Amino acid sequence: MSENNHTAFEPLLTEEEAKKVVRGPLLPGDYYLFGSDACVEGAIFAGCRYYAGYPITPASEVMEKAAERLPQVGGRFIQMEDEIASACSLIGASWAGAKAMTATSGPGFSLMMEAVSYAVMSETPFVIVNVQRPGPGQGYITSSQEDVMQARWGHHGGGSLIALAPSSVQEMFDFTVQAFNFAEKWRVPVILLADETVAHMRERLTVRSREEVKVIDRVRPQDLGIPYEKYLPYEGTVPPMPAWGDGYRVNVVGLVHHPDGNITKYSPEMHFACVNRLQRKIEDHVEEIVEVEGIFLEGCRHLVVAYGTTARSASEAVVELRAKGKADVGFLRLKTLWPFPENRLRSILGQLENIFFPEMNLGFMIHPLKEALRDRVQHFISIPSLGQLHTPEQIIEKIEEVIGK
Amino acid sequence: MKHPMLNYLKETGMYGDRFPTIFCPGCGIGQILNYTLNAVDRIVQKDGLSRDRFFFASGVGCSARLTSHYLGFDSIWSLHGRAPAVATGALLARPELKAIIFTGDGDVAAIGGNHFIHVCRRNLDMTLICMNNGLYGMTGGQSAPTTLRGIPSTTSPYGNVENAFDLCQMAITSGASYVARWTTAHPQQCIQAIEKGIRKKGLAFIEIMTQCPTHWKQEPAKMVKKFRSQGVRFSQEKEKETLKKDQFWVGEFLDKDQPEWLETYQKIIDRFK
Repeated sequence: MSENNHTAFEPLLTEEEAKKVVRGPLLPGDYYLFGSDACVEGAIFAGCRYYAGYPITPASEVMEKAAERLPQVGGRFIQMEDEIASACSLIGASWAGAKAMTATSGPGFSLMMEAVSYAVMSETPFVIVNVQRPGPGQGYITSSQEDVMQARWGHHGGGSLIALAPSSVQEMFDFTVQAFNFAEKWRVPVILLADETVAHMRERLTVRSREEVKVIDRVRPQDLGIPYEKYLPYEGTVPPMPAWGDGYRVNVVGLVHHPDGNITKYSPEMHFACVNRLQRKIEDHVEEIVEVEGIFLEGCRHLVVAYGTTARSASEAVVELRAKGKADVGFLRLKTLWPFPENRLRSILGQLENIFFPEMNLGFMIHPLKEALRDRVQHFISIPSLGQLHTPEQIIEKIEEVIGK
Repeated sequence: MKHPMLNYLKETGMYGDRFPTIFCPGCGIGQILNYTLNAVDRIVQKDGLSRDRFFFASGVGCSARLTSHYLGFDSIWSLHGRAPAVATGALLARPELKAIIFTGDGDVAAIGGNHFIHVCRRNLDMTLICMNNGLYGMTGGQSAPTTLRGIPSTTSPYGNVENAFDLCQMAITSGASYVARWTTAHPQQCIQAIEKGIRKKGLAFIEIMTQCPTHWKQEPAKMVKKFRSQGVRFSQEKEKETLKKDQFWVGEFLDKDQPEWLETYQKIIDRFK
C-alpha cells in the first residue's frame, strides 16, 4: 500500500494568494475571455456548485477551469473515472440539491447517454456541455456539429430534452445560464451543443448584473408549503423537486411510475401517461423555450440557415452576397436546436425558393427543417463540411452555383 | 415493541403495499435490509442523528430493489453498477448526508467494477453493502464475476471457466478504510459491521454472502446453515492457513484511519473563505 495515501494535504496556494481571487461569480463588466472559460463562468453565475468530468479533447479546458473555479465559490469539483460516472454523479448531486454540470466531447457524450436517459425519466435537472469533435469513432479532434442528432435521439427510450447551440464566447456564457434555467424550470437534462471552435475562441464577453439576467431555481415542495405527507402525487406539468436531506423521503426511480412515484401496479395506461408527460412537458411548451434569430427576411427568396459557429461564416456569407447585389438572400440562425422550433419557423417564414444549410456534418439538422417547411420551400440544399469550419467563400460559392453570380 | 425495521419502511397508502416484497421466499436480501435498518436505528437512537440525514442508493438487480419503494428514507434506485458514482455526486453536493449503498455482486463487481474501485480509492465517506449471492438473480441465474470456477449457471451450462473476484481484497487494495465480510447467518455481526461502517470516516465496504434459493435450487434454511460452516473466522494469525474447498473468510479484514476525500477537499474550499 502506498504511503502517499497518508501524506498530510496542504492546498498549493497560500492564504495571501487566495485573497486575490474572485470568490463569487464574475462581476458585471467587459472581459476578453476564452470560450470554455466563459462557459464555466456562466455556470457559476447560474449557481452551479458541482462539476464532475473526465478529460477529453477538445472539452478538457472546461474541466480545468471548473477545477480552478468551483472551490473558489464554495462548490466541489471531482475528476471521475470515466464519463459514465461523471454523468451519473450529476444525478446524485442534483437530487442532493445542487446545480450540476459536466463537459465532454463525442466519445464521452456516447458514454453519458445512459445517464441522460435516466435523468429524463427521473426528471433530474443538469447540464451537459458537448464541445463537439468529429466522429464517428475517435474521429478527429477539430470542430464538428455531428452530435446534434445524438443530443436529442441518443438516449434510449422516449421523453424530450433541450439542446442549445452557442456561436460566440458571449453565448458560451449566456446559453450556459439559460441551460441551467431550462434544466431547473423543466426538470430535464439540457445539452449545450458547443463545438471546438467556439470553445477555443477568445472574444469579448459582457457580464451583466444579477438584476438584468434571470436565474431560475427549481421549485421545491417546501417553497409551495407542501408537507412530506402531501408531496405526492404531484399535479401539473413539472412536479416540485425536493432535495435529499430535506425530509421528503423521496424514492427516486428510473422505472415507469405513477404520479405518486409508485412503480407497482403496472398498466399500459400508466406507462403511456408517464412517458407521454415527459415528452409533452417540453413539446407542448416549445414556444416558451425556443429562440431563432433572422435577418434580411423581408423579400427573402433564398435563405441561409445555420447554428453554432457555422452561423458566423454563414451570416458573413449573406452580408457579402447582399453587398454584391443579391437583395433576396436572407439569414436565419437556430439558437435552440431541440425542441425543434417548427412553429416558430413557420410563423416567420413565407414561401422560399431555396434554403441553404451549412453544417459541420453531412446534413443532419436539415431533416427536421425539411419536415417543418416541406410545403414552403422548393429546394433544401445542404452545405456540408467535416473537420473544419466553413469559410464564407465556400458558402458563397455553393449559393452562387445554384442562384447564379 | 415495534420491530425496528417497521419504523423505517414507507408507510402503506399512496406507495402501495410494502408486503409482500418482490423477493422470492427464502431470499437473504430481506435479512440484509433488516440488519441495515437495525444498524441505522442504533445510530439514530444512540447519536440522536435524524433519519432524514440518511440516503440510500442502489444500482440494478435484486439488491437494488430495496430502494425502489420500501424505504422511508431519501433513496434512489439508480443505474446498473453506478450507485457509487451517484452517491459520490450527492455527497459532494451535500456532505452532511450519510450515504448507504446497496449493491449486488454483479452490480458492483462487473458493470460497476470501475466505480467500485475508484470510490474505494477516493475513500469517500460512505457505506457500501454488497449482497453476494454468486450470480445474477434478477435476470435468471447467470454467472457473475463472483461465481466460482466450475459452477454451472444459465450462461455457463458446462461450468464457469473463469476465476472469481475476492471483493474484500479488491476493496482493500483499492484503498477503502473499513472492510468486512459476513453472511446472512451472522445477524449480530452484520448489524455491528454496518453500524461501524456508517460511523467510519471514509469508505466502508461490507460484503454479505447471501442465499439465492431460486437459482441455487436449494432449501433456504440449509443454505444459511451451510454459511456457518463455510465462513471461517478470519484473524491475522490464521491468514496463512489454507481454506478447504467452498470455505471463505468472514470477519473484519481492515479498519484503519486515513484522509477522507471531502475532508481533504474542504481544506481547499476553506482557503477561499
